[in-house]
Order: sequence, then structure tokens, then C-alpha cells
Amino acid sequence: MKKKQIAITLGIMCFLLTIALCVQIKTMNSANSTVSQSLADNELRDEVLRMKEKYDNAYRDLANAQKELEKVRQEATQNDSTAEAKEQALRENNMILGRTDVQGEGVEVILEDAASTSSSLNASDQIIHFSDIQLVVNELANAGAEAIEINGQRLVNTSSITCEGNIIRINGERIGTPFYIRAIGSQSRLYGALTRAGSILDAIAYYGNRAEVTKVDNIVISRYSGTLNYEYLKEDK
Amino acid sequence: MIFIAIILGCVIGALIGVNMPMISYSYSGYLAIAIIAALDSVFGGISATLNKNFDLKIFVTGFFGNAILSILLTYLGQKLNVDIYLAAIVVFVGRMFNNLAIIRRYYIEKFSKNKPKDDKVEGNNTEKN
Repeated sequence: MKKKQIAITLGIMCFLLTIALCVQIKTMNSANSTVSQSLADNELRDEVLRMKEKYDNAYRDLANAQKELEKVRQEATQNDSTAEAKEQALRENNMILGRTDVQGEGVEVILEDAASTSSSLNASDQIIHFSDIQLVVNELANAGAEAIEINGQRLVNTSSITCEGNIIRINGERIGTPFYIRAIGSQSRLYGALTRAGSILDAIAYYGNRAEVTKVDNIVISRYSGTLNYEYLKEDK
Repeated sequence: MIFIAIILGCVIGALIGVNMPMISYSYSGYLAIAIIAALDSVFGGISATLNKNFDLKIFVTGFFGNAILSILLTYLGQKLNVDIYLAAIVVFVGRMFNNLAIIRRYYIEKFSKNKPKDDKVEGNNTEKN
């Protein structure tokens, strides 16, 4: 009965093998990871593309709606002289709130992580932190900046600059080095605030990070890309 | 007979394996390489049975020995920062394909001529188990 013995052995082996296979498959399923790294990468890439398309569509809808609103508003104020003043005030307020593209004289600050030849051995000294950006923004606001933008993100009333591990998030959008901080305001005052002795840029540049400020005659700052939503705010009478 | 045993083993194994507890994720790499080694042994065993040179001792020691050895090699590779398990996978999967080729040729000859000619089974490599 040699054949029987062979069959039983093979059966037992297959039994052990399938147990191991099932356990492995279960483990991998629960770990939510694919064996092939490239497959996981591709799935992520697909997901990103889908989300991007969704975002683009939503953004286009928003732009269309805004155009429509503008048109309706214009039509409504066309034959009314008192409404024209209101329209003017509305436009100005929208500009201040960050809802329109603005331009004017100002400065541009460039902050960039240090090159590998930094004098500091501490890796934390060699990168731009969110607090550095906050300090620069504070300095600019203190010097009378009227509009500030960081890597295309306009700072508005509801803006926040937060640290999320290895990235910085402004207005909920991720931004990374190098940081271009543009501010509209009095050129000399903004420039002076950032280049005085012991200024924040000196502190940032101390360990080899790039921190430069240049005067720019005509800065264009784009509008806030999100929506300003006030749900709980009410006027106190 | 042999295939009935294999299928029976697979079905029972699957039924029990589904209800088994999960192992820790860090050990799943070792289990995976052991599975590949065992799979290679099983295919080797099947092709050896068809070739009529099946040896139970070689099969059993090959099944457990290869699995344990490949786990140890993977562990060693992790300690040395060398992906030794890749070499193990190449060897085992290569042999698996060889054994599958032997099995395939055996059945093609058996069914095309309608009479088994066991001696004419040819594989590029006559691995035992």
C-alpha cells in the first residue's frame, strides 16, 4: 500500500499548506496592504486622479456660479444710482476679504530649506518650520501688509498655518519648500521690518536656510480659493 | 487516489485556515516564504509521483526542511540587510515551473496518445521533490 501512504502524506502536506495560505491571506487582507508595492502605488495614483477630477469639476462649477452672481448683480444695479454706491462698497469689501485678485507694490520673501552643507548637525535647524512662516507673516502684518499670500494661498480671516508632520498646511492646502511669501503694502516699511538688525529672517538664515526678501513693484495676489462660510456669526444689535 | 487526497487536504485545510487566528504582520513575510517553499515541495512531490520515483523521506524532509531553511535565510537576510528571500523565491518558483512543466507533459502525452507512457515523461530538470 505504498500508493496509499503517498496519498496520505501528500494530503497532509496540502492540508498544512492551505492552512498556512489561508492564514497568510487573512493577515494580508487585514493589514490592508498589497504584496506588490507598484500595485498599491497605482491604486493610489488612480484615487488621486479621480479626486483631482472631482475637485476640478467642483472648482469650475464654483467659478461659473461666481460669474453668474456677478452678472446678476450688475444687471440689478444697472438702472439704479444708489445701488451703484452699494456695488462699489461691495467690491471693495470683497477685495479686503480676499475674494478678488489684487495687485500693488510690496515685497516677496523666499524661505527655503538649507542645503546639505548647513553648519548645523541638527536636522531640525536645517528646515523651514511652520512657526518661521508664522513669524514672517506676523512681521509683515505688523508692518502694515494689506494682503499676504504664501505659495498661492491667500491669507484671509479664517486662514491657519499648521504643521502636519513633514508638510505645512495653509488654508487646508499642503504646501512645501520653497515658500514664496508675497505681501502688498508699503514697500519700504515691509522691507525695513524684515531686514532690520536681528530680524526674523536673520534668525531663519542663521543655520544656512535660505531667507531672502526682495522689493517688487507690482505684485499680483490671487483670490482666496476656498469659500468663506459664516454660519454662527450674527450682528450684535 | 492521490489527487483526491490532495483536494481533500486542500478543502479541509481551507476550512480550518479560514477560522484560524491571524498572525502578526511582521511575521507574515516569513510565513509567505515558507508557503512558497512548501508549495514547491508539493509540486515536486506530485511530479515525482508521476515519474514513479517518489521517496517519502525526501519529500517530508524537503517539505519541512525547505520551509524552515527559507525562513532562517529570510531572517538572516533581514539581519544583514540583504533581500535573501528574493533568491529563495527565484529558486522555488523556478523549480515550481519545472515541476508544473513535467506534470503538464505527462498529462498531454497521456491524453493525446490515450495510453500512459510513464517512461517518456521528460522535463528539463528531473528534480526530486
